Amino acid sequence: MRGPGDGGMNAVAEATVRVKLFAGLRERAGWGERTWPHSAGLTPHQIWSQLPDPAPAHTVRVAINHSFASFETPLNPDDELAFLPPISGG
Amino acid sequence: MNWPSCRRSVEAERREPVEATMPRLDLQLLTTTLDPLACLVAWQRQLADLPGGMPAAEAHFTGRVRGVSGQGLPLEALELEHYPAMAERRLQELAMVTAQGAAAVLVAVDRRGPAQRCGQALLEGLQHEVPFWKREWVNGVGTWLEGNTPL
Repeated sequence: MRGPGDGGMNAVAEATVRVKLFAGLRERAGWGERTWPHSAGLTPHQIWSQLPDPAPAHTVRVAINHSFASFETPLNPDDELAFLPPISGG
Repeated sequence: MNWPSCRRSVEAERREPVEATMPRLDLQLLTTTLDPLACLVAWQRQLADLPGGMPAAEAHFTGRVRGVSGQGLPLEALELEHYPAMAERRLQELAMVTAQGAAAVLVAVDRRGPAQRCGQALLEGLQHEVPFWKREWVNGVGTWLEGNTPL
């Protein structure tokens, strides 16, 4: 996959969002948290579509800053975006 | 998941006292075995300190890990993962929603109906709206569960 957070893309002043994956999504991708370059109009769907071998989007929920959101919600710099596999309860 | 004790968290101790009419939520994720009866006793001691004393109605639910997987095979372990900040936030929100439902019958806090309905609403919210994920381990193989057992 593209390697945000892995190289020189995260200059100190560069706007980013934090992306988190959980449970099966984390293991499928091989990482649980990365920073991602932010650009105007960036949405969770755009990030999701760049993941290699993503799970079907209809099985995944999105949270922005710890609240459920849609795949099309515009992201702001420093947002925390999480992709959540089906919740199986506590 | 293991739940070790029922003492109030340090964070809970730091909070400002809440009004008696406001919903209270003490959330702890524990790493050792839960003693549900000790938990109940500790919780009731807190209730006894409320202005006006203990409410007349309480609803209790204790969930235990089954000994078998969803496929009926012997379960070696049940792993639980959660999204800490969001899980706590969702639980707080669910508690508020539930309390608002009960708020209409706050005078009826001594009745079994609201107590049981609120308890079930919180439990179902926990199962479907709070980011927790379970993984069953059978014969050394872990399988993430998708969804919950039927109500």
